[in-house]
Amino acid sequence: MRNAAPLLAVHDLHVDFDTPAGPVAAVSGVSFEIEPNETVALVGESGSGKSVTALAMMRLLGRGATLRGQITCDGRDITGLTEKQMRSVRGRAMTMIFQDPMSSLDPLYSVGNQLVETVRLHNRMSRARAVERATELLDQVGIADPRGRLRAYPHQLSGGQRQRVMIALALACSPRLLIADEPTTALDVTIEAQILELIRGLQREYRMSLLLVTHDMAVVAEMADRVVVMYAGQVVESGAAEQILRQPQHPYTTALFQCIPTPVTDRSAALTAIPGAVPSPHELPPGCRFHPRCAVAFDRCVTGQVPLFPLDGGARHSRCWLSGDAASGRADRTVVTSASVPGPARRRR
Amino acid sequence: MVEYALRRALYGVLVIFMVTVFVFLALRAVPGDAVRIQLADAPGVTEEQIAERTAALGLDQPVLTQLFHFLGGAITGDFGASFSDGSSVGGLIADRLPVTGQLGLMALAIGVVLGVVIGMASAVRPNGLLDQSLRLVSVSGLSVPSFWLGLLLVTYLAVYAGWSPPLIYQGPAENLGGNLAQMTLPALALGAAAMASIARMLRSSLLEVLQSDHLRTVRARGAGRGTTLFKHATRNSLLPVFTVLGLQAGGILGGTVILESIFGIPGMGSLTFEAVQMRDYPVVLGCVIVYGAVFVVVNIVVDLMYGVIDPRVRYR
Ligand SMILES: Nc1ncnc2c1ncn2[C@@H]1O[C@H](COP(=O)(O)OP(=O)(O)OP(=O)(O)O)[C@@H](O)[C@H]1O
Ligand SMILES: [Mg+2]
Repeated sequence: MRNAAPLLAVHDLHVDFDTPAGPVAAVSGVSFEIEPNETVALVGESGSGKSVTALAMMRLLGRGATLRGQITCDGRDITGLTEKQMRSVRGRAMTMIFQDPMSSLDPLYSVGNQLVETVRLHNRMSRARAVERATELLDQVGIADPRGRLRAYPHQLSGGQRQRVMIALALACSPRLLIADEPTTALDVTIEAQILELIRGLQREYRMSLLLVTHDMAVVAEMADRVVVMYAGQVVESGAAEQILRQPQHPYTTALFQCIPTPVTDRSAALTAIPGAVPSPHELPPGCRFHPRCAVAFDRCVTGQVPLFPLDGGARHSRCWLSGDAASGRADRTVVTSASVPGPARRRR
Repeated sequence: MVEYALRRALYGVLVIFMVTVFVFLALRAVPGDAVRIQLADAPGVTEEQIAERTAALGLDQPVLTQLFHFLGGAITGDFGASFSDGSSVGGLIADRLPVTGQLGLMALAIGVVLGVVIGMASAVRPNGLLDQSLRLVSVSGLSVPSFWLGLLLVTYLAVYAGWSPPLIYQGPAENLGGNLAQMTLPALALGAAAMASIARMLRSSLLEVLQSDHLRTVRARGAGRGTTLFKHATRNSLLPVFTVLGLQAGGILGGTVILESIFGIPGMGSLTFEAVQMRDYPVVLGCVIVYGAVFVVVNIVVDLMYGVIDPRVRYR
């Protein structure tokens, strides 16, 4: 998989927000890379810092956010670029689609207007030619009667159609990286499958990389080449999707898998399957940030910061004392919580 | 939409009717008799002459009879004759309305142009130096009544620049320079409040829109400031600005009554002012009806603008 230079590399990214209660660290020291044509899934529960990371990559965090670290796009660090310079990065190099397609489209302009605007932003072409291209894009994202729909306003479309239009708008930029922040959370299950299928097809056709933000492990299994698992603003595990799915190293990843919704379970109920909640950035626990909710935590987890251990010769990483070669402290551990969930240590051969 | 506009116009007529009746009755309740005020300066007026004049004007009739008489005329477009010189009220208004129209439009233009520029400039860099100073300007524009601002402007210009506007009215066709020299100050004074509230509303509305998801998406596609700010953000901020504009148009109309009198402009405002002083009932009522009609039309136009700006607005 790793043959070309990374299209995008995030290195030691920190994002702090100014809040009335003082600065809070929403993202602390996140690093990962995205190769050309690769699909990376960024997973984690609500509040773990996925959207903040994605928005930081686009430099779209609002006022009050401070960003440290490097974000390298094609070898160029974009963290220091001005708004004006960012314009050449946004769209062409990467663009982003969001969770709620209703609020992400400008309600006052027709679909055609927004598409033509975007097409002409990135290509020198006549209006008439841009309208042709807009029609073509709507057709590609599977909108029936694309020519007629150009005149439609966002409120006249269904949720699925709106997300298709959002995708068409992203394609109009011909980006090399598409960041999709929970693109199907607002849609129902049948539409979700269609949209994911559409994204996957277009990704191949347009030769794009995809950063798919999600908290649904079933989607990860379906789509991802590699997985980056985030918890409370940190990466806790990363590696090839196949391996992580087969053999998760971090207890948090394991717990996430137990949340894969089955057709009978209600999705919202499934998301609360890990007892407790992601700590707010104001009150991060000492030691491992996951230890209060971890079934296999022991004394060492409560005190020291846990480093991100490289495993399998650096192909994957896990931020847990119990993972792989790092599990040296296992012998003398004292379990501080009664382990009802089998942890990764027990599962390992 | 046409149906909606017609229905609104019908309501408007109803409102104007009620206002007319109210003003008619209120005028009668105000102390001071039209005839006595008119003849007050004339020496040696006898009681008989007063009674005669009162009868001639129809003021000896019961109030309700007078009301029905006036309304009957008004429906056919005849507002009667001025008590003071017998000239037709319709003719007086036709002479004066264009003058007030010019003043009102100038005031509105000043308010809208300055208000939009100030509002946008403040929203682009919130709490910057420009924003802070503009906030001061707009707050003072809001809290100062237009007549006082008008007086202040005249006084300061006279004292410090030794310049005062001409007091003899000239139409824009005869002498555009002289006309503007006289009209600009009152237009500024009248437009200040509109400028201030438009600036404030646009600033807060823009700031909110600039944080919105869809604007972030526009930026995510690499759009520049022109597209984000002037196309998407501005139009999305306009609805509340139009609401304010409708209200402020009313304020400007009301303000003309005093400002025209201060600056010696022969428009509807000074006509109304003099007519009230002289208890010239037909002229006052004619002016009230015209002011009311303009206000109603402005508000219908504002409501229809909502639909032009926002495709989601449906008129029912
Ligand atoms: N503008 C902001 N100001 C202050 N704190 C913020 C801001 N944006 C996000 N945060 C905080 O940063 C943390 C991470 O938020 P983020 O939106 O990245 O979570 P997420 O992983 O995307 O969750 P979800 O699945 O709900 O989208 C949260 O605790 C949130 O409260
Ligand atoms: Mg999110």
